[in-house]
Amino acid sequence: MELELGLAPPGSDRTPELGVHGEKRANLCRKRGVDEMLGKATLPLFIQKDNDEDGNGNGNGRQSKHLQELNFGSRVLVGWPPVKMWRRKSDDCGRRRANCVKVNMEGVAIGRKVDLCLHDSYQGLFLTLSQMFPKKQHDGEESDAAYYKVTYEDEDGDWMLVGDVPWEAFIRSVRRLKILN
Amino acid sequence: MVGGFRWAAMFPDEVWEHVFSFLPADADRNAAALVCRAWYRLERRSRWRVFVGNCYAVEPAAAVRRFPEVRAAAIKGKPHFADFNLVPSDWGGGAEAWVEAMAEGWPHLEELRLKRMVVSDDCLELIARCFKNFKVLSLVSCEGFSTAGLAAIAANCRYLRELDLHENEVEDNCLHWMSHFPESCTSLVTLNIACLEGEVNVSVLERLIGRCPNLKTLRLNHSVPLERLVGLLHRAPQLVDLGTGKYAAQHHPELFSRLESAIAGCKNLKGLSGFWEAGPTFLPAIYSVCEGLTSLNLSYATIQGPELIKLISRCKNLQRLWVMDLIEDEGLIAVAASCKLLQELRVFPSDPYGAAQPISLTEHGLVAISAGCPMLHSVLYFCRQMTNAALLTVAKNCPNFTCFRLCIMEPHTPDYITRQPLDAGFSAIVESCKHLRRLSLSGLLTDLVFKSIGASANRLEMLSVAFAGDGDAGLHYILSGCKNLRKLEIRDCPFGDKPLLDNAAKLETMRSLWMSSCSVTLGACRQLARKMPLLNVEVINERKRGLPLELQPDNCPVEKLYIYRTVAGPRSDTPSCVWILR
Repeated sequence: MELELGLAPPGSDRTPELGVHGEKRANLCRKRGVDEMLGKATLPLFIQKDNDEDGNGNGNGRQSKHLQELNFGSRVLVGWPPVKMWRRKSDDCGRRRANCVKVNMEGVAIGRKVDLCLHDSYQGLFLTLSQMFPKKQHDGEESDAAYYKVTYEDEDGDWMLVGDVPWEAFIRSVRRLKILN
Repeated sequence: MVGGFRWAAMFPDEVWEHVFSFLPADADRNAAALVCRAWYRLERRSRWRVFVGNCYAVEPAAAVRRFPEVRAAAIKGKPHFADFNLVPSDWGGGAEAWVEAMAEGWPHLEELRLKRMVVSDDCLELIARCFKNFKVLSLVSCEGFSTAGLAAIAANCRYLRELDLHENEVEDNCLHWMSHFPESCTSLVTLNIACLEGEVNVSVLERLIGRCPNLKTLRLNHSVPLERLVGLLHRAPQLVDLGTGKYAAQHHPELFSRLESAIAGCKNLKGLSGFWEAGPTFLPAIYSVCEGLTSLNLSYATIQGPELIKLISRCKNLQRLWVMDLIEDEGLIAVAASCKLLQELRVFPSDPYGAAQPISLTEHGLVAISAGCPMLHSVLYFCRQMTNAALLTVAKNCPNFTCFRLCIMEPHTPDYITRQPLDAGFSAIVESCKHLRRLSLSGLLTDLVFKSIGASANRLEMLSVAFAGDGDAGLHYILSGCKNLRKLEIRDCPFGDKPLLDNAAKLETMRSLWMSSCSVTLGACRQLARKMPLLNVEVINERKRGLPLELQPDNCPVEKLYIYRTVAGPRSDTPSCVWILR
């Protein structure tokens, strides 16, 4: 079953597969293993735009496209469904315990910890990670080119690519994070 | 204006002011102020309540100067979509400029209500210091302050009647802030601290409410354990509105009966909310007051259908019900049978991201309510499926809707039986409900629905649109129709430059327009800004890389756009991700 990802504008011709309750989850909730993820054309979380939008042609027009702008066929959408931030906060971290997970980077001895309760989106999490483990170019300068791939171990012990599932599902199942070099 | 002059001079000013005091509605007062200069002068000196729907629409100093006798002010800041994380956190909406101007020009201010603003502790301290007669502080969906700021309010506002904190982000750095209420503070009527995350000293709270005999509304936060609720209720049996704290504890028959009797002792109870972590065990403790309840908010309680039905069936006089979708269709059918006075229903998703068991809350529940509750006029309904037929039935059953917000959680979901767009259903709603003031759309929708809305929704003031429409025509129908439209917010729709430019004048008749992830280009925004000097055209671009917006070409796509009318010109507090085009 293909995982169909559309970048078409909304309203274009699509016949969604509808389940019993009208949800079209059946073919889109399938987990992807790490091998499959690394083998195929992956969905980088930050991509470089090679075609300069500013038209000056000398590569200065690099922009990082944030996760929220990639339309995963409506999987990862900021602010949708429109449930108030405050209400979500009450539900998610209702027990008021921090949800700290370990973060390791491949090849780096010392790991860090990140409290997922302090974040409410992938965007925020990546910002924190990029501050904890800034991407270095060869000359040691910080680079704003594409960030590393970030994976996580879920409750079943599988390693998944961060960003595949809605945020709420992610924070429920994540056990630890690993940044691939 | 000789005629106007003579007319005004017929009576002394006081008489005119007395006449104007019968015009409470701002719209009427605004109209009176336009009649002649004399009336303008009289009206401005007699207006004591001011509502500023957009804090950037006017300079604070100008507002304060025009209405020198204001006692009560309400101000709103960020656009509504800030509630859903669509507005950058540093966008603006700071309250300082307003609080400073008010401290200067309205020393007799008694009431301040702020919504979606950034309020610092400094602001709270200024309020506490400068307004000697301060009585009411209401902060809704605000952020930027801490319990230290609240301590200043508690300590200094000697005549405080209402402290109403609703869904704010409050930093908890002053554990004993409530101890700052002096012993002499006996005037509280409303205390709502439900949004505070930290521990509350319940003994201090007990003493406080014990000395406030006029306390009518008390909403606790989740840190107040159920055992302590009993003591609080004994000290405030006159309560009309109660928000419980944590509504769970070790099961204890003694606790249950004490709780039951404490609640029964509150003979005037009309509203209940809170119920954090509520389970079936302690719910029956409120049965004795159910018949008197007009408002019930169970939207933080993950109670299942059967318990909900047992509870709500007793609430024969309920007017407002907020509940989780765990109530399911069956529960709503029971509500429809029992709550004949129901006016407002909100059904929230227990699991918006769909990872758990599917819930049997469908269009049937909505139809049942519409059929069984003749006084229903306001609905917020989150569900996963809908049909045109259901919406047609709802429209026929409820021509009196003033607010209809339907959120089908998966974008682009069609009628699940016919696979058609939901145009017909929503069109029926706007055609039938002639008094509709607020509408939120969802599901698969083409430009046709906008044609109906533009033509029929004559009283519509606020419209929220997401993942809908085919192209420019959709937006054009709205902007060229909807005579009374004030607020329009749009996300992820294929609406572009043309309808904006063609309807530029319309934007000046509205409070604001928000568009994000649509097809608007920078060039159109520039044109619009040039053409309409009384609009602030804010382009929000959160990418930190690339050229500054001034140097981007006209065809550069605009991520987020916020346009609002203003007499204050461009604001000076924009963060780096916001550009105001001129």
